[in-house]
Amino acid sequence: MRLRDLLPARSPRFTEVVFWALDLETEGLDPGRDAILSVGMVPVRRGLVRLGEAFSSLVHPREERPPSVGALGAHHLRPFDTRNAPDLAAVLPEISRRLEGNVLLVHHATIDVRFLKAAFRSTGRSWRPPPVVDTVRLLYRWADARRFLGNPPGDPELNLFAARDQLGLPAYPPHDALVDATATAELFLALRARLGCERLRQLL
Amino acid sequence: MTNAVPAPQAEPHLDPRSFLRATPPFDALTAEAFELAAGALEIAYFPQGTRILSADGAPSDALYVVRKGLVRLERGGETSAVLEEGDFFGYSVVTGQVSADVVVEEDLLAYRVPETVVRRLLAFAPFTRFFTQGLAARLRHQPAFSAEPALGGDVLLPVGSLVDRPPVTIPAGASVLDAARVMRDERVSSVLLLSEPPAIVTDRDLRNRVLAAGLGPETPALAVSSSPVRTVPHGTPVYGAWQAMLEHGIHHLAVEREKKLVGVVTSTDLLRHHSHGPVLAFKKVERMRGREALPAYGTDLARMVAMLVRSGLAATHIARLVSHLNDALVRRLLVWAERDLGAPPCPYAFLVFGSEGRFEQTLLTDQDNAIVYRDGDEPTRSYFRRLAHKVVADLVAAGFPPCPGGYMATNHAGPLSEWIARFAAWIDMPKMEAILAAGIFFDHRSAGGGLDLAPLAAVLERARQNAPFLSQLARAALGFRPPLGAFRRLELENGGVDLKKGGIAPIQGLARLWALDAGVRATPTVDRLKAATAAGLLDLETGEALEEAYIFFLGLRLREQIRALSEGRAPGNHVAVDALSPSERRHLKESFLAVRTAQKYAITRYQVTTA
Repeated sequence: MRLRDLLPARSPRFTEVVFWALDLETEGLDPGRDAILSVGMVPVRRGLVRLGEAFSSLVHPREERPPSVGALGAHHLRPFDTRNAPDLAAVLPEISRRLEGNVLLVHHATIDVRFLKAAFRSTGRSWRPPPVVDTVRLLYRWADARRFLGNPPGDPELNLFAARDQLGLPAYPPHDALVDATATAELFLALRARLGCERLRQLL
Repeated sequence: MTNAVPAPQAEPHLDPRSFLRATPPFDALTAEAFELAAGALEIAYFPQGTRILSADGAPSDALYVVRKGLVRLERGGETSAVLEEGDFFGYSVVTGQVSADVVVEEDLLAYRVPETVVRRLLAFAPFTRFFTQGLAARLRHQPAFSAEPALGGDVLLPVGSLVDRPPVTIPAGASVLDAARVMRDERVSSVLLLSEPPAIVTDRDLRNRVLAAGLGPETPALAVSSSPVRTVPHGTPVYGAWQAMLEHGIHHLAVEREKKLVGVVTSTDLLRHHSHGPVLAFKKVERMRGREALPAYGTDLARMVAMLVRSGLAATHIARLVSHLNDALVRRLLVWAERDLGAPPCPYAFLVFGSEGRFEQTLLTDQDNAIVYRDGDEPTRSYFRRLAHKVVADLVAAGFPPCPGGYMATNHAGPLSEWIARFAAWIDMPKMEAILAAGIFFDHRSAGGGLDLAPLAAVLERARQNAPFLSQLARAALGFRPPLGAFRRLELENGGVDLKKGGIAPIQGLARLWALDAGVRATPTVDRLKAATAAGLLDLETGEALEEAYIFFLGLRLREQIRALSEGRAPGNHVAVDALSPSERRHLKESFLAVRTAQKYAITRYQVTTA
């Protein structure tokens, strides 16, 4: 037995962990009723967002009920876009394969995690929840830190694009799951640097 | 009225891939070659202060392009260049040799193309060409920086020497698409339209006035252009170009020689030559996102002033640049305050006084400011009180201490009618406090807000007619005595002299008096002295001597203040005579003599009896 194994496990450094930033475009906010329309994922590996490894897919809508035209319009998707897309059962293994042993990184985790859980259940799979880092939580922590440093109190900008703007990150085009996932990954890097979190435990 | 407030920048919303595609040399790659790069693209984030590469360290493992933030290249501890959006660094990925330290100046988001892919891209001609040309340009710029410490002595360089190509022009009838294509092909950020008079279209115009306004590619370029083109003569020194840009909030200046436009200089050109000059500070103010960026302002400004002093630029020029920067900051703070509080209920102006009001601010000194609004009821009053509190607090955060005398917008916000009544009362009843107040408030100007201050200025006309008031003002200006004793020897106090009491304050006082007397609204002391000479209030020789004396006093004080700060002492007005060179000592004495001579003029004209 090596000495290292006898010591209490330290939380790994953030550069040793793979974070998968994920964004779902959905029909609405109700996982019981609204369908997932597209998914985008991009990993943060050794502190770098690796666009070459990104995964994104449209999702074929459920047969019973075509997606509402309003929802599709809002996301700039048109009906024929999703017609030839793989269905949910084919996309979910792509998601779980990537999350296996890694950390899920989401902006507003509660909503997307609920959608994922419901999706996995509806296709008869088990949802094994990965560790989750939520950039909204980090935004609150940053607001606290700033207050502590004597800055005027104020509620943090929670909207992804407004928060990015506040942190000096560039404006990206909206309504694309992969771009949003990338935007989330960058926001994560900026917040991590500002909060000075070196280890995974500090980010969860 | 010039369009001094820069329009908020609407940025094109490009995702990383599209951004890379739009950035030379990636725009010239075939689809296949571009896929190579895009397929391996990485994104990195570095907070301010990170040293990404070191000249004595390992070569870069990727080619970087700046997406957001600023990066400075350092050679031998001196900044040699500042990189911004769309600029590359990490050339050592190809050369194997890091030529400069790469340090993050402002939080950086950068895209990376890893080494293996860069090597494969070198097989493509446009990519290789860009690299070799880029290197040559970088080498060309190098000696200018490494040869001279800090900014070098070349802030006096004629701006024409920075022009390296004739202006790129398009016909008057060209469309914005034509303009965009020419700008892309020529790799320039502006084109001149051959209209009458000529007009200019910049990349910002294409973004803000075309894309963001939803106009189509066929829109006539003339419709989104600016005219007349802001032009400076070929021989204008670099600092003059800085001033023109800062004053008008613009990034492109046409350069004219013998009535012909010979080229265009951009803020980026100026930034590359003087990386710690005011252009960097100006860009940083324009980019400020939130209040957490404020504390850095004071530090940046102090660093810039120290560089400018070392470069030998006259203190009055430095002061004017600092004042324009402070104005840009104030305008930014007003935007934030209006965002927090909602639109103002009526037009207003944010006034600055004292040295700031005279464009003579150098180091960050106490705030002297006020708000004047058109008219208003109690809710209006309360709005501007809240606005004042926000802006004053933000200025404190940026490094401007509160005024100990309380001459700040938080105490001094009122409707125009009240201000007019106050000014009039001071002139009509020149008591001690009135003279004191006049000395502060009459040196005012608007740093932000659009209210027309002409009615307030008109009140000052009364002073001309009011001999008792002018006489009181003269008495105050003559209360300061230059420290000259018998045989014109310097009278020392603790081994030195007080530059403010002995020289700066009396000149300022006289200049203010003469300006009011001549009915001139200019606030800078040097401008007032020129106007007074033109109006015949003093002879040319005395006027010029006083002007020189003033510039000398300010420069000497600034130099001593910067030395004090660097040695951890509080900056003041005292200068030790032993520390001066013989020629400086002689200059000092002559300057005090000029003050004494000018005071004699005033005694006669305003019939002041001296003790």
